[in-house]
Amino acid sequence: MEYEIAADDYMAAGAASNSIKEALKMLGVPTAISRRAAIITYEAEMNLVIHGGGGKIVANIDESSVELMTIDQGPGIPDVEKAVQEGFTTAGDRAREMGFGAGMGLPNIKRNADVFEIFTEVGAGTTLRTVINLP
Amino acid sequence: MASVRIDDLCAEIEAEVYVQGDMSREVARAAVGDLLSFVMGSGAEGAAWITVQTHLNVAAVAVLKDIPIIIIASGRVPANDLTERCRVEGISLVGAKSSIFDICVKLGRLGLRG
Repeated sequence: MEYEIAADDYMAAGAASNSIKEALKMLGVPTAISRRAAIITYEAEMNLVIHGGGGKIVANIDESSVELMTIDQGPGIPDVEKAVQEGFTTAGDRAREMGFGAGMGLPNIKRNADVFEIFTEVGAGTTLRTVINLP
Repeated sequence: MASVRIDDLCAEIEAEVYVQGDMSREVARAAVGDLLSFVMGSGAEGAAWITVQTHLNVAAVAVLKDIPIIIIASGRVPANDLTERCRVEGISLVGAKSSIFDICVKLGRLGLRG
């Protein structure tokens, strides 16, 4: 499954995560796991909206795992270690007024993923890969 | 820790009900926050959520955390798309004139915990 996420489209947020949650539910994946996938997807969607200049989310589901990839051609992340620290944010005023920019996006993703990898290059973009193992 | 029916909780805080979900459902915990990812990371699942945010993404977080009731504090009014989404998702959406602090005091007296 693939989802295009537009830059600055705050009000579309949740569409991809809902869709993935529903798909996993239909496949009989336990709720606790589909919720983890939905949280990862929601935070990833918002990262694309706020930071990535839009991008896409690709979900690959098989018997043993759910792989969620987020790909953008945005500004990249200069300091990944900082970006995954709770409370660190570079979100602008508009995002913050809406309650984004808690500095919890990547930490929430990391907490819900069994595999968490970031490939990023300043000026070229960021790819985030997460995997949730299925029981 | 006490469980409180959503309709009893609404009566206690003199809530204006915008969307009636399952008003007989019981909640035992509450979460407070206006930072969406913070609530998503730290709020208890199935909790009542008190916030002053009024836009559509509030519903997105509520769905992910199985939050059955959103309480908008300080007399703020939910956006139409938030109301509509809560209706679709079956989430109760209410407003109260009281501040977040005063709502928490009342819910604490009812026995809810964080």
